[in-house]
Amino acid sequence: MKLKIFASVFAVILGLVFGFIYLRPHTFHGTVIQSPERAYDFTLTGANGDVSVSNFRGKLVLVYFGYTFCPDICPATLANVAQALRDIGTKADDVQLIMVSLDPERDTPDKLAEYVGHFYPTFIGITGTKEQLDEIASLYGIYYQKTEGSSATDYLIDHTATLLVLDREGYLKLVFPFGVTSQEIADDLKYMLRQ
Amino acid sequence: MNKYLFNGLYVVAGLLVVSAFAFKIFQPIQVLPRMRLAPAYSFIDQDDQEFTSEAMRGQFVLYSFIYTNCDEPCNTANATLQEVQSRLNEVDLGDIPVSFVSISIDPDRDTPEALKTYGSALGADFNQWKFATTTNKSLLKTVVGSGFETYYEDKGNGNFALDPGYVLVDGWGIIRAEYRYSTQVSDADRILRHLGVLAEEVKNSTGSAKLAYEAAHLFLCYAP
Repeated sequence: MKLKIFASVFAVILGLVFGFIYLRPHTFHGTVIQSPERAYDFTLTGANGDVSVSNFRGKLVLVYFGYTFCPDICPATLANVAQALRDIGTKADDVQLIMVSLDPERDTPDKLAEYVGHFYPTFIGITGTKEQLDEIASLYGIYYQKTEGSSATDYLIDHTATLLVLDREGYLKLVFPFGVTSQEIADDLKYMLRQ
Repeated sequence: MNKYLFNGLYVVAGLLVVSAFAFKIFQPIQVLPRMRLAPAYSFIDQDDQEFTSEAMRGQFVLYSFIYTNCDEPCNTANATLQEVQSRLNEVDLGDIPVSFVSISIDPDRDTPEALKTYGSALGADFNQWKFATTTNKSLLKTVVGSGFETYYEDKGNGNFALDPGYVLVDGWGIIRAEYRYSTQVSDADRILRHLGVLAEEVKNSTGSAKLAYEAAHLFLCYAP
């Protein structure tokens, strides 16, 4: 009888430990959004023509707003995402990063393509008119504004530095602040790719 | 028979105890849904100064939508904000600031001076309660109409159709609650309760979830 009780208690504890380790929900490193509506779909111009966010339904889409003259945060973020995709391996084929340039005066589609290609071969760079960018950036919670720069850069652009992740259905799912590591990005993407 | 009955009861009791512990351990903390990103903007405030959404990072912000020539529903909305402001000490907010932002949908008439006169008449503390707008009507429509999903329409002759409401945005710039319809609980009571829930959430958060409140500057790529 005692053996049965001991075995039962042991089984329950084992079950709880197993459940805690393997069945607990994934803890996201980014902030999770539970939006009931798809993220705003937009179309801007890339080196190979018009690109819409909705072109990539079925993939995870990472949207990043920046510009090629950006001195530090933009290249650091793009390098982090590129490293995360390398860590993910072949599943990275189901992830698409789109960089929206907030500097259409200097970032031509060709220049953007060359810039993002240095980080990862499938990255896409797009841009548009100021009016288009004003609307898109606002609806993605991205503040931006031109500011004085050095003689080398002429001007700089202050901008919100978050990295946004849309799920396979086009819903905004995650917001990463600047400063998350490539490993943290990879962890969250891997989990979302399993969904 | 009794033996089986007792064994059965032991199993049920055991399951209940395990379930209770599991619920205690895994129960979700009460949270407000993260509905969508609040729109970003760069407006002009009542002091004729640039006022941006990025300046609100790391704070709880309660948005309302007004025009200074409006009686109702603006008067009711302002009374609610005044009540919330005066009762903030009822909520344990930790160190997190709360701001009120009233966005005017009538930039033609609501100059900074007009907004300042309007705010002063309400007794607003302009350090905590901002009144702002932009003459870029297209952007204003994007921010208020599409971003905050608040309907308004210029009817001409200085009249606007406006759906009243408030929008609560957290320190990440994420919309956490919208108040558009009357309920049996007053808007002020609901807003204060929700502010408490958000503050509790921040208190219990760890890692990058706290970043917006502790290092809001990290969210902006700015010229050095």
